[in-house]
Amino acid sequence: MSAPSLVQAVAKRGWLNKMLKPVSNWYINAAGYRQMGLRADDLISEENETVLAALQRLSPKESYDRIYRIRRATQLSLTHKLLPKNEWTTQEEDVPYLRPLIDQIEAEAAEKDALDTLAVVKN
Amino acid sequence: MISRSALSRGSQLALRRPAAAKTAQRGFAAAAASPAASYEPTTIAGVKVASRDDSGPTTRLAVVAKAGTRYEPLPGLTVGLEEFAFKNTNKRTALRITRESELLGGQLQAYHTREAVVLQASFLREDLPYFTELLAEVISETKYTTHEFHELVENCIHEKQAKLDSAAIALDAAHNVAFHSGLGSPLYPTVDTPTSSYLNENSVAAFANLAYNKANIAVVADGASQAGLEKWVEPFFKGVPATSSGNLNTAASKYFGGEQRVAKNGKNAIVIAFPGASLGVPHPETSVLVGLLGGVSNIKWSPGFSLLAKATAANPGAEAFAHNYAYSDAGLLAIQITGKGAAVGKVAVEAVKGLKAIAAGGVSKEDLTKAIAKAKFNLLSASEVSGTGLVHAGANLLAGGKPIQVAETLKALEGVTAEKLQAAAKKLLEGKASVSAVGDLHVLPYAEDLGLKV
Repeated sequence: MSAPSLVQAVAKRGWLNKMLKPVSNWYINAAGYRQMGLRADDLISEENETVLAALQRLSPKESYDRIYRIRRATQLSLTHKLLPKNEWTTQEEDVPYLRPLIDQIEAEAAEKDALDTLAVVKN
Repeated sequence: MISRSALSRGSQLALRRPAAAKTAQRGFAAAAASPAASYEPTTIAGVKVASRDDSGPTTRLAVVAKAGTRYEPLPGLTVGLEEFAFKNTNKRTALRITRESELLGGQLQAYHTREAVVLQASFLREDLPYFTELLAEVISETKYTTHEFHELVENCIHEKQAKLDSAAIALDAAHNVAFHSGLGSPLYPTVDTPTSSYLNENSVAAFANLAYNKANIAVVADGASQAGLEKWVEPFFKGVPATSSGNLNTAASKYFGGEQRVAKNGKNAIVIAFPGASLGVPHPETSVLVGLLGGVSNIKWSPGFSLLAKATAANPGAEAFAHNYAYSDAGLLAIQITGKGAAVGKVAVEAVKGLKAIAAGGVSKEDLTKAIAKAKFNLLSASEVSGTGLVHAGANLLAGGKPIQVAETLKALEGVTAEKLQAAAKKLLEGKASVSAVGDLHVLPYAEDLGLKV
């Protein structure tokens, strides 16, 4: 599910992070999902096994909120409107709630793969 | 083949020579008194350890925690704790635990009794450090995650619940009427037991905190050297907390007695139970009584001498056996009968008749000798071959008693006479019995029809 990303590499280098921050803010604003009350993790495509498994692991509250945000955004899209500004998703609210679960499931799969193809060395 | 005459000649010679007989006797006594026969209790770095070393190539190492169904604060927690064993820990995943122990040729097992949750590993002798570390890690660093609870633990519990048969439910019901709460809580909650409001990953984690601390666990090793244990238990069990803040449900057991009847499809089962022998107190009469009641014959093509085997031979379609369920402060001597249709009820009637005959002094000397021999065999095989010796040793250590001393108990069994047995049977019948019937209640008799007081 994960695409290659340079985020970690950038975050490690303070000067680069500072330089790219305005670009990232511009991008997030231009993407427009926050104006529709969504979080970045709501945009992850759910048409694959890993994400479906991760969605199963959400708590009932998180799952309900996610559906609510998506339905609200769909409605806004149909009516060609944006939310009033005080209801936009703020930077503090835009936390990765699904990404850690996806990472966890990917790590499990990778470990299983590694153990399945293990070469036992006897000495 | 050995010729018949040669065999009988040998036995005749042996009989004629008292010296030869004496040697045989001494040899047996020496074997029974050998140090490898019983578990030796010690304490290593605050952890109670019982070990026994027969220098074999394999080892069984178990953590026995005082967390059986008897001690659970809410129904179902023991089962949850058992299923959460060997799942993800802070250091490695459940998959890695399984694969690593597979590579070492080890077997991991988690099960529970009414008094204890047992995490057991069987492995090759030289892998002691790995499995000591693993068991310590499982009890102190399991993560109890939400997704494992929903994806694995719940499913396992539902599958095991679906397998519960009439016999298991009848035994649980008999314990329930005998002890009410504590020992009376079911060994496995049935499908109809409302556990969903109590059993979740958080309550199991809280229970694990109460259960897995140095004051509440015992490490039992069968086939590990004392030196090896001293070397490895100390560093690996360092992370296990010394005591816990909360309290387990540790009320003393009291015997009540009574009757319970449960309608169920499938096989019929009756359990007739009386107060039995507990773990700490030696009570050889009960063991001999179990031998005399018996059950499954160990001779081919013959019901043998035991009362229950004779009763089942006369009523085909039913199986019966007697067993003394020994706990740290109470015991339950149970006659369990299962089978199809009305045969179960008939065997129950026969069993009570047989017990009354024993109480009236109708035991022949020959039967008594056979029953004592059977009781001896039961004791030795339980302590040597199967794992029950391991669990009993751990449970007894936690209760503050000594592990069962095989040599002494054997001597006590020898001392049982017909009068003592008669008195013991009389006492059982005078007290209140615990009777449970599960299955087709139309054909199963009431305790009063069997002639028992409840």
